[in-house]
Amino acid sequence: MLLTSVIIVIREVLEAALLVSILLSLCFQLGIERSWFKWGLLGGIAGSIGLGSQLGYISNWFDGVGQEVIDAGLQIFIYICLLYICVQFINHFYKRHPLTNVLRATLIIIISCAMTREGSEIYIYLSAFQSLPETGVSLYSGSAIGLGIGFSCCALFYYWLLSFSPSRALLVSCALLTMVASGMMLQAGKMLIQADLLPDGQLWDSNSLLPEDGLTGQLLYALAGYEATPAPAQLIMYSLSAACMATVMLLRYNSWRKQKVAEEIS
Amino acid sequence: MVIKYRLSVLALSLLSSVYAFAGKPEFELTIRQHLFEPSIIVIPANTKIKLWVHNEDATPEEFESYELNREKVILGGQRSVIFIGPLPPGEYPFFGEFNPKSAQGKIIVE
Repeated sequence: MLLTSVIIVIREVLEAALLVSILLSLCFQLGIERSWFKWGLLGGIAGSIGLGSQLGYISNWFDGVGQEVIDAGLQIFIYICLLYICVQFINHFYKRHPLTNVLRATLIIIISCAMTREGSEIYIYLSAFQSLPETGVSLYSGSAIGLGIGFSCCALFYYWLLSFSPSRALLVSCALLTMVASGMMLQAGKMLIQADLLPDGQLWDSNSLLPEDGLTGQLLYALAGYEATPAPAQLIMYSLSAACMATVMLLRYNSWRKQKVAEEIS
Repeated sequence: MVIKYRLSVLALSLLSSVYAFAGKPEFELTIRQHLFEPSIIVIPANTKIKLWVHNEDATPEEFESYELNREKVILGGQRSVIFIGPLPPGEYPFFGEFNPKSAQGKIIVE
């Protein structure tokens, strides 16, 4: 039970916490205030308990695939929010302005949704098994260890991102956020395939090269939605999402560059 | 008018049952005492199937398989559906993430 709890909690915590550490460090680098974080955290806890406690009801939606549809919906929604946020970060880098309410709300929603997806499973797991006599201590100590390892990884990540100059941090963070966001679309694809709303298939099997259940595989899963046996529909979703996000950010970046050059000439 | 309506409803329901029958084959899997029963399911190759998972335990379980690319939480006492395939012949292990030591099984595609 101890090891199971550690693994479950790490797997769930890592993805949301990586996202939080990228957003927090970039806000610090760009001088954006971070009051949104505590509200996002609160929203995430409330969302986890809400979704976790209602999962039985939600599962019955859409002919029994409610769980998949909600999960895919949350991930697609996070992708759209991240796309918006990245453009705003680029704007902020070139022209600093106070945190607008829309930007603050988007950051809160991203953290809340990302935590809700992962936290609801931890809530279901903990609330169901804590009442069993044989599990008590190992369940909580395992979860605490998992939480600790997950947060340590993210603290390392946070300080690694802080070590860059602001312009480099913007580039690295936007690239990482594109990976995270596209990875979420890949996972949304997986859920839609599971719900029989997209066709299944297998493009390749890279399990022998990089096993999905290994440590590196799990880290890559959290960071970029790594899948050892992706379906064509998933790869299409991933490629389109990554290309769309990269194009929008490059266009934004170029328009700022042109504006700066024009300002310097005049 | 009413008879016509009833007839069309009957025809529609017959059609849908024929569709369901001719559609995806269905398989049953039960979770009991943190074990999958049966632990081995044989399904046809290159066919999409509907796997009904019934969790008879009071505690939840997460049906998980890296090979099948599937993960779904099934609460205690709940019966849920998971679509699987079409798959090439082979063995595809699955496990219960909340009880990975005991809850193990595999789908054999042939």
